[in-house]
Amino acid sequence: MPRYGMVIDLKRCYGCYACSMACKTANHTPPGVFWARVLMGEVGTYPNAVRQALPVLCMQCDEPSCLEVCPTGATQQRDDGIVIVDQDKCMGCKYCVMACPYGARYSVEKWESYFPDGLPLSPLEEFQKKSWEEKSGVGKATKCDFCLDRIDDGKQPACVQACPAKARIFGVHDDPESEVTILIKKERGQVLNPEFGNKPKVYYLFPR
Amino acid sequence: MDPKVNGQLQHDWGWLIAAYLFLGGVGGGAYTIAALNSFMGASMELSTTIGLWIGFPALLIGTLFLIADLGSPTRAFLAGMRPGTSWIARGTWIISAFMVLSFVHLVLRQFTDVGTTAGGQTAINIIAIAGVVCAIGTMAYTGILLSASKGIPFWRSGVVPVVFVVSALVTGHFAIMLGMTLSGVTHTTVETLRTMALEAMGMVVLEVLAIVFFLQAAFRQPDPRESAERILRKRMFVFGYFVLGLAVPVILMRVVYNSTPESGVGGIAAVAVIGAVLGLVGGLILRQAVLICGALPTLNIAGFEFRRIHRAKEPKPGIGTLPPQ
Ligand code: SF4
Ligand code: SF4
Ligand code: SF4
Repeated sequence: MPRYGMVIDLKRCYGCYACSMACKTANHTPPGVFWARVLMGEVGTYPNAVRQALPVLCMQCDEPSCLEVCPTGATQQRDDGIVIVDQDKCMGCKYCVMACPYGARYSVEKWESYFPDGLPLSPLEEFQKKSWEEKSGVGKATKCDFCLDRIDDGKQPACVQACPAKARIFGVHDDPESEVTILIKKERGQVLNPEFGNKPKVYYLFPR
Repeated sequence: MDPKVNGQLQHDWGWLIAAYLFLGGVGGGAYTIAALNSFMGASMELSTTIGLWIGFPALLIGTLFLIADLGSPTRAFLAGMRPGTSWIARGTWIISAFMVLSFVHLVLRQFTDVGTTAGGQTAINIIAIAGVVCAIGTMAYTGILLSASKGIPFWRSGVVPVVFVVSALVTGHFAIMLGMTLSGVTHTTVETLRTMALEAMGMVVLEVLAIVFFLQAAFRQPDPRESAERILRKRMFVFGYFVLGLAVPVILMRVVYNSTPESGVGGIAAVAVIGAVLGLVGGLILRQAVLICGALPTLNIAGFEFRRIHRAKEPKPGIGTLPPQ
């Protein structure tokens, strides 16, 4: 069974938020929910200051702390390593939201309009809301699932496909020939905050 | 979407969970004191009765608060499925066992005459001891639940369960004192009230030590430090909890302790009620403040530190606003 993973090349990422938008479009996530986020960091002082964008998503950890704390067994890990939430079992206790150190989980009970002043939902929002509720339910924990539906159709995850800088590479970890494995090895890929001990499967290539 | 926000706060657990943790603590604390006092002889009899009457209902209402917080409350019965790794599941079993024991204890003691026979009394004593074990488990669980949350560095401290257990005993104490005064103070109960006031003072001192230790440990690491700074900036925490919820009750307990039945039963009752109510509200504020000041960790890679996108409600931009008529 392949174990899916991702490499994000920070040398290429210029912080355009295309992945955030592509993810929202593909998965119809509610306002305020960003499965694919882009954080900004700075080091150094002028004139030697550098700004760096960091795209983050669910790390599909090998030792997911979200799964550990889930009291109902709703959070599960598939054989291919993708961590999913079984909507029929989740009771919405939000303990997994507290347990994920990468902040990848959300729980939404009410869909609020993107538009201000209590305007009614637009037809597009109505459509997104309906499709979200069918897929993810209301008041359940949700997270990035590496675009399961798309991978099953043989497509790339939406954020990978949308990235104009080709900074995101999706593939399998346990094949020594795969682009992901080669890149991690060749460019000494690192994971975020390894001290959390979650063994993430999303690696970052860093300018050195 | 301004990404430069220091330490994003969690906003998924709020008042309902604070009330759940608080009532679990009150129930556990009141029951522990009641059960222990039941071995102390006739002088503490009333406190046992009141404590038993508080324990079970507090747990029941607390559990209802948890269920009210669930996104999908109809699935609440699944809460105990994974006790192997999940503290909510373990807590569900501990609290369930505790509810059964405290209920049986209450019924046997108040509504049957089982206690009048030697064998019956032994049975009640065994239930009391098992109940105290579960009560301590419940009090500790309310803290361990938080300290096992990997995503909130502020809570990830072994001191949190200690703070919550001590606070549970303090609030349990105050709850019993409140019940005792409200059920009518006589010359004999003044003596019991004085003993309980003394115990309450001692335990509040312990709570102050525990909370100070907790905060100063938090100040030693960058992520928890941010939460600790936030909590100390909260007026609700400093005045509501430290001043009104700890300091003032200690002074009032001191007044109760120094009084004699001759100094006026009504006055003593009033002072005890005010002290107890303030102390109870303080316990709720403590939990709420610890919850809402929980911030997510800073992500970093190779020396770069990345704070999180602010998820709190931002003022929405004016797009889509209708022009004024
Ligand atoms: S990143 Fe968070 S939500 Fe995703 S698998 Fe790891 S612990 Fe779970
Ligand atoms: S919110 Fe759902 S998935 Fe998360 S811990 Fe609770 S039951 Fe499990
Ligand atoms: S893999 Fe899919 S679900 Fe996950 S962040 Fe990318 S677009 Fe969103």
